[in-house]
Amino acid sequence: MNPEKPTAQPLVPRRVLFASLAACGLLAATGSGGWAATYGPQNTVTVVDPSPVNWLSITWNTMEEPMRVDDHGMAQPTLATGWRWTSPTTLELKLREGVSYQDGTPYTAANMKTAFDRVQDVENPHPPGAFLNFARDTKLEVVDAHTVRMTFPEGDSAALMKLRGMHEPSDAFWAKLGFVDEAKASASGHW
Amino acid sequence: MSQLDKRSPEVVLEPNPNYWNTARKPTVRIVFDNIISKADAIRSVESGDGKVDIVTQLTPAEARAFKGGSHAKLVVNDAKTVLVGLFNQNKPNSPWKDIALRRAMNMAIDRNAMLADAGGGHGKVIPALIQPGRFGYNASLTPYPHDAAKAKAAITAAKIPGNTIVIAADEGLKPLVDDIAKNLAAVGLTVKPNYEVEPGKDWDIKLTFGFDWTPAYPVGVLHREFLGKDGGSRAMPEDPQFDALYAKLLKTTDEKEQEKQVQAIEAYVHDQANLLFLYSPAVLFAVSNRVHFVPYDTFMLELAETRVN
Repeated sequence: MNPEKPTAQPLVPRRVLFASLAACGLLAATGSGGWAATYGPQNTVTVVDPSPVNWLSITWNTMEEPMRVDDHGMAQPTLATGWRWTSPTTLELKLREGVSYQDGTPYTAANMKTAFDRVQDVENPHPPGAFLNFARDTKLEVVDAHTVRMTFPEGDSAALMKLRGMHEPSDAFWAKLGFVDEAKASASGHW
Repeated sequence: MSQLDKRSPEVVLEPNPNYWNTARKPTVRIVFDNIISKADAIRSVESGDGKVDIVTQLTPAEARAFKGGSHAKLVVNDAKTVLVGLFNQNKPNSPWKDIALRRAMNMAIDRNAMLADAGGGHGKVIPALIQPGRFGYNASLTPYPHDAAKAKAAITAAKIPGNTIVIAADEGLKPLVDDIAKNLAAVGLTVKPNYEVEPGKDWDIKLTFGFDWTPAYPVGVLHREFLGKDGGSRAMPEDPQFDALYAKLLKTTDEKEQEKQVQAIEAYVHDQANLLFLYSPAVLFAVSNRVHFVPYDTFMLELAETRVN
């Protein structure tokens, strides 16, 4: 790992024993890289969060997506630097350059395509509900190393909402873990 | 939302010192303590003993009792939240299919008094599901007025069996149920509360919380969730008119046109009164003075900006 190189994901889970699909998948892909030694009680913040969506907060603190929603509730680019509808059924995204995963592999359009394709393979991937699924005939193609094009034959103005929930982990994450519930050996839920 | 709530005793999030976004580069380790009780955690923040720094989702009663003093403060966040009642139109012989009755129920309650009392004054009364200033807010709408006399006439005409209704709610909402019961007593209705975790199917109104985490797409997670054909909280037959409005929105990518359509959906939802509109509750946190904490209007707990002072 090159410590000078900017990397994705602001916070990294060190000890995660959750049974949820998303959170249990994060550990091996990101690792802590030995950073724990530099943090002690003086810069530790202890949080008690009884929220039933605590699992989602942890996921959004430790994964990264093409875009996010800031503290004022406004859309902000993250792994995508911008997006535009080039037609009512085509969305083009420019992706961030110069960002790497914690294992040093660079983030490119191929990572977004992998994330999209892997999730499309799952019937019900999103715990909040099937409304976050992209339609089966949605396509994502790599235009160049930092550009992707999505096509929605039926149109889908909810696409940006869905992209806020499309995590883009590293190849190592997919190879070693993926979003799989160990108890069911599946990434598909009842939701 | 989700049933995913199996927790380990502790979850530790380490800050990524190489994070690309320097504006959000975290500087603290986050520890989620899943063992300590909420009451003990609030006392810890109050006392400044250093065991707990942030407690989320205080109830209005907990906020009222919270004594920050020199150690801590109450953080109040006007997030994109809603508290509504679902009218059960799916029960046999449901009286709630009657739009005049649903509108009357919306006129029977005094939202401002409820917000001041059960809500501890933390929140906003809104016309339907979107707050002023947010994407899709419809400024032409006003909350249903509190008009007990008009409401009583329509409620009496509806001939609700035994003049009694069942309100299902989380037990934490008991103060709100009590306030609603007082308002409904004034229009001739008796409320039987049901605080069961699984309230069954025989309730009349179920109090439900919702939040909008989206980038300017409130209809996707609120209106659709409560009223859409695939809405997980829908308590009524499918509404083809609502579904047509949502289908049209899904095909509209121009943001300005989208907002007009969201405003139209908000107006339709308000007019149909398939929900008992209550208010938008603020989200309340107990926060130690040693910590700088940034609440998110999305209701999500994002901690990259959290700092030790």
